[in-house]
Amino acid sequence: MIALGIIALATLAANGSRQLRYSAVALLGVSLAANVLTAGQLTVTQLALEGAGALVACGVLYVAARDRTYGEDPGWRLWVATIVAAAATAACFATLRTASSESVSVPLVGEDPSGVTAQVAAFWLISSGVAILVTARTPVRGSLGALLMITGVELLIRLLAVPQLGLTLLLAWIEVVVALAGAFLIVNERAVREA
Amino acid sequence: MTAAYPALALALAACISFALRKRLPIVGPFSLLAIGVAFGLVANGAPDTIGTVLDLDLRVTALGKLASLVILATLFLLVLDVWIDEPAYNFFPTALAVGAAALGVLILTAPLAIFGLLVVGLLVPVGSFTFQIQRNRSVEAATRHFAFVALGGSLGIGALALDASLPHDQPANTFVLLAVVLVVAFALLLAAIPFHTHAALLASEVPAAALALYFGVLVPTTFVAFVEILTLSGLLPAIVQVVKIQDLLHGIGLASAIGGAFLASGSPDLRRLVVYSVISNLGAALVGIATLSGPGIIGALASVIVTGASASGQLLAAGTLERRASPGRPSASLAPLAALAFVVCGFAMIGAPPLLGFPGRFFMELIAYQFAPITGAALVVATLLLIVGQLRAVVALFGSGVTGWSVERRPVAGIIGAVVFLGLLVGGIQPDGFLAPIAAFADEFLRALRPL
Repeated sequence: MIALGIIALATLAANGSRQLRYSAVALLGVSLAANVLTAGQLTVTQLALEGAGALVACGVLYVAARDRTYGEDPGWRLWVATIVAAAATAACFATLRTASSESVSVPLVGEDPSGVTAQVAAFWLISSGVAILVTARTPVRGSLGALLMITGVELLIRLLAVPQLGLTLLLAWIEVVVALAGAFLIVNERAVREA
Repeated sequence: MTAAYPALALALAACISFALRKRLPIVGPFSLLAIGVAFGLVANGAPDTIGTVLDLDLRVTALGKLASLVILATLFLLVLDVWIDEPAYNFFPTALAVGAAALGVLILTAPLAIFGLLVVGLLVPVGSFTFQIQRNRSVEAATRHFAFVALGGSLGIGALALDASLPHDQPANTFVLLAVVLVVAFALLLAAIPFHTHAALLASEVPAAALALYFGVLVPTTFVAFVEILTLSGLLPAIVQVVKIQDLLHGIGLASAIGGAFLASGSPDLRRLVVYSVISNLGAALVGIATLSGPGIIGALASVIVTGASASGQLLAAGTLERRASPGRPSASLAPLAALAFVVCGFAMIGAPPLLGFPGRFFMELIAYQFAPITGAALVVATLLLIVGQLRAVVALFGSGVTGWSVERRPVAGIIGAVVFLGLLVGGIQPDGFLAPIAAFADEFLRALRPL
């Protein structure tokens, strides 16, 4: 539960920040908390791959900002994204979570074998990402939304009972490619704005 | 592992060409050599070869081999055009990386991995879309493309992951919802109407070769991946039982077929004509898939693969015509061979016999009539509108008359158009070699539809 809380707060911090560098750091916090949440389901190699992917992606965005003032003011979009994400998370969890009549106990600290917290975190991240991406005006928030969604998707895939190494590597690559494409667009958009 | 060699060779070549990208005399021939090697490896590979890489199962299917060969041939022509006629240094690594991703998509057997690699492939061209950023809106176009791919990709992978994790005693509505999300995700990636706004912006703002890379290589790959994912994900039996999803596919398909054809018939320039024609053909192919029948699937896949090749030829010709005529309107008198290439590739785009585009369109329209007469009539209307659009382009290019033909100095687009036309003509005269692998895949699709 604590990791879930950190994910929620870090997502809000990334969403509400006016500076890209702060968003990148908050995004790293989201990824680390997501890794902690599902640490029991992955091997050390897979955790390292996921962590490296997240670190590189956030690092790329941090460098793309070039200075600590650059970013996009979310304004009213912050509240729209948060409200939409909260409503969509509840709706997704009610509709799409594994149908089980058994009562589930969610520990405050430690592993959650039922996967409930991981699913909630995944739905929250995907909903937040969609809301941020749809309301984004520039690649700054577009990249942020895309990376949040990919992190949510990673959480969903970790809950599957299939061989994970190939998928983990692929998702880490997607994260890096999204960050690189986003950074490329950020740099170009800034060049257009400053011209 | 041997199944992965062509994709790995292209991925390695993409890394090398990225390092060499500013040395145009080296990187151009090197890229062509790499694509040629990959083509040779695919052509000589035995069908139904299997392998495993990092826990992911690979299989070379007959359809995968056919689509890989067409994609590599198209990439070869695009790289040749950029190297000789329209130098753009970041195009070479992009094209090789796109080729590697496309070949990977066609040999993977896990739906999640297919979708993931597809997303990587669709994101790579962002680098080749942006150019002369102070003089056009290419950054905005690339940003919109990035957003659509990220949104569609994440939603699609998420839906597939949820589908794989849900128990089978789940209410049918849950599977319906996931299938709907998957269809919408692919509609976003395929630029189907009403999710086509980024395609419209790309059509007017990005270089012709980058546009051809997207609409000629990536869009057909995305469509093939969509059909493969439907087959492999186990969602098809649920789709058959619930008519709503079939209706959704029909709705999106018909909207794209008719809407794209309307937009193409009134398009103000050559590039938009091609892009909207591709969207219209994709819509017709979605209708073919929605019939969930053998001829519909064969027609859809055949039509999409041919559309990719003919769109590449038309877009390269359009780019050449615009460059020669700039800042005026494109005219056949300035680049007659490119104008001819545009026209003959347009024949393939509308499915005119005896070219290879004809069997696919014929199957789709025939089965659409059997499915519902109004659907068949709508597809025929879409074809007629596409013919009107292509005829308008011919009149615009040749209408003012050609006085004093001066053949362009480097008629690369014209030669590429001729090669594409000849390939489609030979294929149209002997269509069995092209249609047999697609028919084999259609059998697999139908078996997945009604498992024993």
